Amino acid sequence: MKKLLYVFLLVASASIFVVQAKAQVIVIANPSVKTSEVSKNDLKDVFTGASTALPGGGNVVPILLKGGTVHEEFLQAYIGKNDTAYRAGWRSLIFSGQASMPKSVDGDAAVVAFVASNAGAIGYIGKASPHEGVKVLQIK
Amino acid sequence: MALILGAIPASAQSLEDLNIQIHGYATQGFLYTTQNNIFTTSSSNGSPAWTEAVLNVGAQPTPKLRIGVQGRYSLLGNLGNTITLDWAAADYKADERFGVRFGKVKTPNGLFNDIQDIDPSYQWALLPQSVYPLMSRNSQLAHYGGVVYGSFKLGRELGRLEYRGWSGKRVIAGSDGYFLSQTESGTALPNGIGGITSGFALHWRTPLVGLMIGADDVRDNQWNASITQSVNVGGGVTASFNGTEALSNFDAPSFFAKYEKNKWMIAAEQTRLPVSGSGVIPALAVITPFRLDQKSWYGMVSYKVTNKLSAGIYDTQSIDHQAALTPARYLKDWALNAHYDFNQFLYAKVEQHFYDGTLVGYDAALNPATKALPTGLQPNTRLTILKVGVSF
Repeated sequence: MKKLLYVFLLVASASIFVVQAKAQVIVIANPSVKTSEVSKNDLKDVFTGASTALPGGGNVVPILLKGGTVHEEFLQAYIGKNDTAYRAGWRSLIFSGQASMPKSVDGDAAVVAFVASNAGAIGYIGKASPHEGVKVLQIK
Repeated sequence: MALILGAIPASAQSLEDLNIQIHGYATQGFLYTTQNNIFTTSSSNGSPAWTEAVLNVGAQPTPKLRIGVQGRYSLLGNLGNTITLDWAAADYKADERFGVRFGKVKTPNGLFNDIQDIDPSYQWALLPQSVYPLMSRNSQLAHYGGVVYGSFKLGRELGRLEYRGWSGKRVIAGSDGYFLSQTESGTALPNGIGGITSGFALHWRTPLVGLMIGADDVRDNQWNASITQSVNVGGGVTASFNGTEALSNFDAPSFFAKYEKNKWMIAAEQTRLPVSGSGVIPALAVITPFRLDQKSWYGMVSYKVTNKLSAGIYDTQSIDHQAALTPARYLKDWALNAHYDFNQFLYAKVEQHFYDGTLVGYDAALNPATKALPTGLQPNTRLTILKVGVSF
């Protein structure tokens, strides 16, 4: 019984560690984006190609991470899809001539660099990543 | 394309600034039927004659302007083995409320029309044949002309309204599946049939997140074609006579809805296709009027079982209310589907169909009439599809 309890505690602490180890995502934008907050739905519209503007924020250009924990967490939290389903949605738009795929880059630093230097750019990074030169959008 | 690229302002000359993208996909299908041969393949023996490959090149020289072109290699039984231009268009999006696309453009009616040929974008191996017939797909996909589009926020409580309006010329090739039985009976359309098509669609993205309700109407003006009628005059000699075929104006409305939440997707669509016209062969003093009034619908559900595996089911029916009371009057189908993503590039689909009725892609050449079976077709057929695809 004691052994079982130890195993349970070990698994429980490992789970807590895993949860804590998961990156927390923040949404960042170029300072030219006129709003400082965005609704979850408007964010989803921008990142799924349904919209190219934020209410009160003007035209925006989304940028994606190529993969990784932050990318998966962003998709799950704000888009409600995994990477495969998300990219399938974009393929509908690309192959029917309705949109171009957003640029994808490797790593938070590349996202920050792109967002900081492109007017209207909007992206997502891990909360702990440095993000000088960009503004953090609050999600309503 | 080169001319358009050449017209781009000097400030956007580097390849990086042009944001050039190249995408593509390829699929290979395998068909097996228990009874009738379907889609001009020898499916009752098992047929791999269903291959497609698509290459897409696009560029976005400015945030508001995109240009692109897409070509396709297609093989489907005896209908294909061709390379075609899917679309080639320039798209200028002034803002959220207004954009315009022109060239050879996808026709954006219904839930799936403009993506019905984009296999990687949906769950199914075969869309409901009542509304999206595979053998006539290429004729319905695109038109030469333009599309205007945009969307309006209706306020926080009312969601968003998207509109699409289009007009242009559409040509249905004489080799299209629509004319298969006509061609097999000796009436050919050497130059196909074409005319002006236009339409308007509204998609209401409701305040209930994930729910879209829409409607559209496609109007085709009178279409005309020259026809050639082959007649066996005896002694193994065939004579050809020229004539004309005309379709009257018609409206084809459709209503549809789609709801996506978490792992679920539910969708339904209802359409009506009322077509009438006549074929005239002056030398034979023959006037052949024809009329169909096809009412079709489907309802579909899919569920994401795991990150890689999805399962789905749909039910669909189509009835030609002008046809005689035989199995050729209708199509009923239940489809069961599984879709597996190996990774973000490679996927596989398996699907089982239970067809009742013969208002689907059957041809006479591969389903010859016999004494026991005068139409050459059994009223029921089971169809199994395996499909693999790769996209980038």
